[in-house]
Amino acid sequence: MKRLFNNKPVIAALVLPGILVMVFAMIIPIGFSVYYSLTNWAGIGAFKWVGFDNYVEILTSDSTFWRSLTNVAILIVVTVFLQNPVAFALAALLARIKPRWSRFFRTIYFIPAVLSVVVITALWTNIMNPSFGILNKFLSLFSTDPVTTSWLGKPATALGSVIWIIVWQGFGWALLFFYSGLMTVPAELEEAAKIDGAGWWMTYTRVILPYLFPIISAVVVIDVISSLKQMEIIFLSTGGGPGDLTQFTAVYLYQKAFVASQYGYGNGLSILFVIVAVGLTLVVQRLFRTEGEVA
Amino acid sequence: MKKFVAALGVAVLLTAGVGAQTKVSLKVGDNLPDRTSGMGLVFDTINSEFKAANPGVDIAVESYPDQPWQEKVKIYVAAKQLPDINKFWSFPGMFMPLIDANLVQALDKPAFDKLGYMPGALESNVYGGKLYGLPLTADGWVIYYNKKLFKDAGVAVPKTYDDLIASVAKFKAKGIIPAVTDGKDAWPLVITWDALTEKVNGDFSRTQAAFDRKAKFTDPDFVKGATLLQGLVKSGFFAEDLMVSDYGASRNLFGQGKAAMYVMGTWEVGLGADKNFSADFLANVDAFKFPTVAGGKGKADDFMAWFGGNIFVNATGKNAATGVKYLEFLAKRWPALAWEKQAGYPAQKVTARPTDTALAKTLLAIGGEAKMTSDGPPSTDRSDAQFKDDIQKAAGELCALIITPEQFCAKIEAAAAKAFARK
Repeated sequence: MKRLFNNKPVIAALVLPGILVMVFAMIIPIGFSVYYSLTNWAGIGAFKWVGFDNYVEILTSDSTFWRSLTNVAILIVVTVFLQNPVAFALAALLARIKPRWSRFFRTIYFIPAVLSVVVITALWTNIMNPSFGILNKFLSLFSTDPVTTSWLGKPATALGSVIWIIVWQGFGWALLFFYSGLMTVPAELEEAAKIDGAGWWMTYTRVILPYLFPIISAVVVIDVISSLKQMEIIFLSTGGGPGDLTQFTAVYLYQKAFVASQYGYGNGLSILFVIVAVGLTLVVQRLFRTEGEVA
Repeated sequence: MKKFVAALGVAVLLTAGVGAQTKVSLKVGDNLPDRTSGMGLVFDTINSEFKAANPGVDIAVESYPDQPWQEKVKIYVAAKQLPDINKFWSFPGMFMPLIDANLVQALDKPAFDKLGYMPGALESNVYGGKLYGLPLTADGWVIYYNKKLFKDAGVAVPKTYDDLIASVAKFKAKGIIPAVTDGKDAWPLVITWDALTEKVNGDFSRTQAAFDRKAKFTDPDFVKGATLLQGLVKSGFFAEDLMVSDYGASRNLFGQGKAAMYVMGTWEVGLGADKNFSADFLANVDAFKFPTVAGGKGKADDFMAWFGGNIFVNATGKNAATGVKYLEFLAKRWPALAWEKQAGYPAQKVTARPTDTALAKTLLAIGGEAKMTSDGPPSTDRSDAQFKDDIQKAAGELCALIITPEQFCAKIEAAAAKAFARK
């Protein structure tokens, strides 16, 4: 067996299928994307070679592209600095209560994560309906005049509303990861901290959180990637509107390619998007790199 | 025995081969997912009749809502899998790329001239002197309304823009949404801007003049039209969720009796016969002409109308000849069936019947009374796909109150200049 796995042709044969999948599923499509991004192809018929014109236009005069990246950044900040602490606190609480109740609440909180994105978006679009939604009906109970806010249609509230839907859907995953991580914390660690006189705050911040660093870094990387990929909820709810206030890059490049028939431009957006996504992921991984990994 | 079995086997194979050769499978793609009523039902009826008349032909239908179907066509073209027959749109920005890519079968215009098409209908599908598609409907911009809700709110049928604004408070006092339309896709907002602009300047040709760079979209009449459109939004005329309400949602709100008015095209004549809505709604739905504007030059009988929806044959498909035969059959059956089912306002002349719904009679009358009609499609569809995307986005921003009418017109002017340069 050892001789077999030292045999270079055998190694090549075993690795080849994976390489072929990567080449045909990733490298070639990206190559085609780069090629078409240098043209003005409308998706049908002939096209002209325009060089880097698409990239110049995107980077210098496409305000929607920059707004979409800004919205992605806002979503990352909200999920990392708001969703995650709340999910962690809730996971810590669930780790301390009776197992029966812990199981019950974990199930409840995880339900959104297993629902279809279409169902979730339709659910919240109806909840937030200005005329018939239960959110406005509920708020009207505390107001002298009926509340008719168009949460998804009004410029001031649209972005916050779609971010709420996205966070609501993803909360269960963060909770699950943190709860699973907390279950692996050895009891001796907490006992040792208690013996040393540490209160709950010191125990969590100086003992448990550092212990869970790999879990936290994985959750943050997943948050960054899913924020970058965010498409379906935006597409199904606001379509990027009103104006382009809730535009996200994945939706924008789809609309440019398939709705506006600017395939070349859409491919240019997707290449820049890939560069931003890879760059951001590398930055996040570098930030969470431990001393052991650096050595 | 062996020889008998062998001969039988050969006979079966030959018969199967022959059967397979004579069976033509026509693939049809359209934007009519509802096959229980309206145009979807009419198409299914025509398909059944065509199959009965042509036993060697089978028809497989693929349907999507409007926007997904438009996107699907582009994907099919890229994958070289365009269906044999396609229900589509005759607008230059959408149809011309397909014609330029030699994907559309040219038709024999003289054969269709005899089939009662309205003046300009077939011509709307002529490019480079050849007929490429058959128009299905005559599309006009009207306002549908619910007579019962108007009566409940004490509102008379609006004749002017000011009447529309004045009706808002009365409807809201009764908890009724004044009006709905598809704000999410934005093209109805652009058509409403076109209609309002004509009521201001009394001249449909001004839009094409701006596209041809003989006028500017920043001229006062276009700005006034945009101001009036934004004024409708600011007054609360449209539902609060206008910008996230898509075609189906807005239609359903009106059909369920929650909104008093529905700003949409005459292709919705089927509202009067849609079994998905209550008998109460069917008995009360009607339409009125797009209102005039005080001080404007446009008259009540200036009718924003065009020929939008069409159907064409894929020239590169292996069933192109059968596809043309299908279109010839459809052209003969469509007007009568579409009108009988009140499914659409055919681009071919139809005769009013005593059994027509009140809505159908009104729409026929509006069309019949029109003294002037628009000289082409709405602004969204007079240029290429990129311009369409730009103007729809700008209309969304205007109606979301993010930009002013002046800024809206400046954006359209810039987009039109770029589109002109791309020609």
